[in-house]
Order: sequence, then structure tokens, then C-alpha cells
Amino acid sequence: MMLDIHGKFGAGPARVAAALLLAFAMVLAIALGAHAQSSVRPPSNAVTNVTKPVGGEVPGNALGATSDGEVWGAIRHGESGKVTIPDGYAATLIQSQGQDWRLLRDNFIINYGAMLILAVIVILMAYFAIRGRIPISGGRSGKVIPRFSLSERVVHWFTASVFVLLAISGVILLFGREFLLPVMGPEAFGLVASAAMQGHNLFGPLFLVAIVAMFFLFVRGNGYKLVDLAWAIKAGGLLGGHASSGRYNFGEKSWFWLAIIGGLAISTSGLSMLFPDFAVETVAPLVGGGMAGRELLQWVNIIHAVSAVVLIAVSLGHVYLGTIGMEGALEGMTRGTVDENWAREHHDLWHAEHEGASTEDVAMAEAKAAHGEV
Amino acid sequence: MTFLEFTEGPMWYVAATVFVVGVLWKVIGLVRIGHKPDIAPPKGSAAGGFLAGNIRHFFPRGLFAERTWMHIVGGYGFHLGLFVLLVFAAPHVAFIQERILGFGWPALPRWGFIVAAEVAFAGLILLWVRRISDPVMRLISDWDDHVGSWLTFIVMLTGCLALQEANDALRALHIFFVNGWLIYFPFSRLMHAATFFLSRGYTGATYGRKGMTV
Repeated sequence: MMLDIHGKFGAGPARVAAALLLAFAMVLAIALGAHAQSSVRPPSNAVTNVTKPVGGEVPGNALGATSDGEVWGAIRHGESGKVTIPDGYAATLIQSQGQDWRLLRDNFIINYGAMLILAVIVILMAYFAIRGRIPISGGRSGKVIPRFSLSERVVHWFTASVFVLLAISGVILLFGREFLLPVMGPEAFGLVASAAMQGHNLFGPLFLVAIVAMFFLFVRGNGYKLVDLAWAIKAGGLLGGHASSGRYNFGEKSWFWLAIIGGLAISTSGLSMLFPDFAVETVAPLVGGGMAGRELLQWVNIIHAVSAVVLIAVSLGHVYLGTIGMEGALEGMTRGTVDENWAREHHDLWHAEHEGASTEDVAMAEAKAAHGEV
Repeated sequence: MTFLEFTEGPMWYVAATVFVVGVLWKVIGLVRIGHKPDIAPPKGSAAGGFLAGNIRHFFPRGLFAERTWMHIVGGYGFHLGLFVLLVFAAPHVAFIQERILGFGWPALPRWGFIVAAEVAFAGLILLWVRRISDPVMRLISDWDDHVGSWLTFIVMLTGCLALQEANDALRALHIFFVNGWLIYFPFSRLMHAATFFLSRGYTGATYGRKGMTV
């Protein structure tokens, strides 16, 4: 439909002139407005209540004599403000210790931890290549002595099983981002890391149960005695001469106490990370005199990682000596009995006390060991 | 077809069929064996003995309780934990509802799942470690016992590794081992889960008919 601009919607010369005048007025108003907005300076004759800064004050004096740079500097270093919400930690915009924790974890624990574990593996391989398997002096006697009860062996292997699962998953979590991610790629590593985290969190509490049981079952005979000092000075016979020992030698006792103390440190720190709110509410007030929750958990994380790395490194030596490194050692933990010559060579004082239990009837000795006659 | 679709599709149907048919075949076969006719007059109830035999075996006898504490603690921990996980874990309830029964029931909260899993794992590890450490258990155990234990452990482990439910590959891995477990079940000592009540009941019924206290 054509519009009849001369009819219904038509406009005479007067209407056109009025429209042009209105458009001109609008353009003029916009132009003047834009000019007015482009200047923020008050007119020279304007009256103001703003006083000029004196003595290092910041213009406006909204934050006192502190510049923005100083304010943000304080925030960066952990300065807290005030909040009215229940979460008191929200008052701290930047938890500065978090940066220290990150640097310590990434630059120290991951690098040196990996180096420590690799160094132990290389040393053990080199030692095995040079020394080979340490044989039983005089060969096997054909007689065995009950050494570990069934309860002791079950708790030992239970602890070992859980420890291996935790160690594998923990190594993936601690070192994976650094060493696995570049090799596997993000998708595969994401899958492995997710699985490792679930497994690690699940098996963690079991380790605490295992360590406590381990303590009560193995504490007998693991107290240090004077004979252990002589053993340590002779480095267990490595420096020549025979090194006497009782039920456990100095090295075994040290491993026991390291496993117990390190295991408790790992377990309690791990549980603190599993239940952070509980840990912060109950532990934070007890330690560090008002240590903030996040700072506590960062320390807990460091303790967890360091303890775990040390325990993994030392456990490699324990596993080596208990399996391929020394003839006759493993069967004590698998069958509960040890060869008499092995006992005489490595635990002469204990052997002297149990010489009467020596027998060629291996099945009977294993049955006695299982029933706790050790 | 993705690996997950395969494990939840054709492989699942094959595994479930083998499991159901195999278990029914064995249980019905056992029942059909029957027993030799006892011509002596009954002095008690065989049915009551069947029931009593089953109930009585849930409680350790005082004489052996001390020596078998590991078996008791590990056995109950593992079996109860596994039962709770199997029936009340949220992903299992959802799977049963969607794929098997068409209806579900309230699932465990996450903390309940964790507790059940801890107990089940502790029990299973304890039982297996005892199996390889105890001289008698070692003597009577063969490869079937170890395969059954390890397969069950791997099924539980892969299930827990997939707990975050954020990755199809982990879920597929779990279902894959579940299928393997289902296929292995009827041909192994895992069948004890479906036949234990028959053996306990048979003993109880025999005693009950003779008027003996189980």
C-alpha cells in the first residue's frame, strides 16, 4: 500500500519547517550535553568542602594516610579486614602463606622427594649388582625356629598391602602433575589422578588402624638396648666383625619406630585433610596459638608429603633386604619360621634364647609359630 | 560403540545371563541330588534343624572363637560391607532401578558408602593375608580361592576408583570387571554365596531329624 503523504499522513510546508526546527534543536542539545560530560573539572567559581591533602595524606582521605599501593600490599601479605558473615576466613582476601606453601611443595618437596626416592632405587640396584644376594653363612641348617606369630604376620602384610596402595596412589598425586602429565596428556592423567585420589582417600583411614595394630603387636623387643649401639657402630657388620643383636637389630628397631611415628604423622595429617573442617575446629586452637585454619592445613599437607616420601624411600630398603637382598629373611614373614643358621648369624642373642625351639619338623614349627609360640 | 556401551550393553547381558543360568543350574542340581532315605523314625524336625543349622552357624562357637577371631572379624567385615555396598551404594541403586528392576530404594549417603567400603576392604585384605599366612589355610587353598579373592578385590577397587563418577573410562573398567566376576561366579568357589544356606541347612536338618541340638 502506498502512503499518501499528501493526504492522511500528508504535511504542509509549515509542518516540514517545524520538524526541521525540532531536529536542529535535538542535535544542538546532544552536542552541548556531550561537551558538558567531557569535562570533570568544577567551574573555577564552584564552592567545595574538599580540603587539600597535607603531610602525605592521600587526596580524598577516604582511607586515611594509606595509598592504594600500601593497602593492596598489606592484603597481599595476609592483612585481614572485617566481615559479618559466619566464615571468618573470608576477611582475609589473600592468604599469603599459601604462596609459601606452594613454593615449598613445588620447588622443594616434589623435586627433592623424587630425587630421594630415585636415589634409593639406584643405590639398591647398584648394591645388588656389586654385592648380590647376601647368603646364609654356612648354608641352610635344615632346622627352623618359629619367629613370627600368625597375628604378627597378618598385621604386617595387612599394613604392607595398604601401604603399597597408598604409596602408589600418593606418588601419582604428588609427582604426577610434574612427571606423568607431560607424558600421558591431560585426559589420561585426569583419569589416573581421579582414580588415585579416590583410592588414596579410601585406603587412608585403614592405614591408621594398621599402624596402631602394628605398634601393639611389634613393640615387644623393639626397645633400644646397649647392644644396639655396638650394632650401629659396626654398621650391622658391614664394617667388619660380627654385630650382635636380639630379636630385632638396630636397623629393624629404627625402621619400626620410623614406621610408627611416620605412619601416625601421615595418618593424622591425612585425616585432617580428609576432614578439614573438623581439623580446623579442633586442632587449630590447640596448636600454633591462633594459627589460621588454612595455614594449619598447609602445614599438615607438608607434614603428610614429607613423611610419606621419607617412609616410601626407607621402605624400599626394607623391602629389598626382606626379599631379594638377603637369603632367609622373607620366610620369617611368609611361613613364620627362620632357618637356624640365619637366626644365629643375624640375631645371635635371640637365637641363644630360642635354640631349644629349633627343629627339623618344619610343619610343626610353622604350626607353633601360627599359634603364637614364638 | 564405545567401551562403556559395550560393557553396559552386550557384555553385561551375556554376563548376567551366564550368572543367573549358572547359579540356578547349580542350586537346582544340588537340591535334586536329594539324600538317601533315612528309615529310622524321626526324633525331631528336619525343617527346624535346617533353620537352626543356618542360624547357629552365624555365631562362632566359644571353643573356637579365640583361635578364629581373624576369620570372624574379617569374614563378617567383608561380607557385610560388600552386601551394603552392593545393595545400598547410590550408583548401584540407580543401576538396579534403571537396568534391572525398574524401581529403587533409598541409597546410602556418601559417608555411609565410605564406611562400608573401608570395612569391606579391611575384611577382604585380612582374609586373603590370613589365607597365605596360616599354614593350614595355605595348604587347603588353591588357585580358585586366590582368583576369586583377587577378582572380588579388583571389582571393589575399580568401583571405588570410579566413585567420583566423572569419567566414563573408570566406570567402564568397573563394569568390565563386574561382568568378569559374574561370569566366573558359577564356576568357582564364589558360588558359596548361593549355596552356603544349603550346606548349613543340610547339616542342621540331618541333626534335627535325629533330635540333636545343632
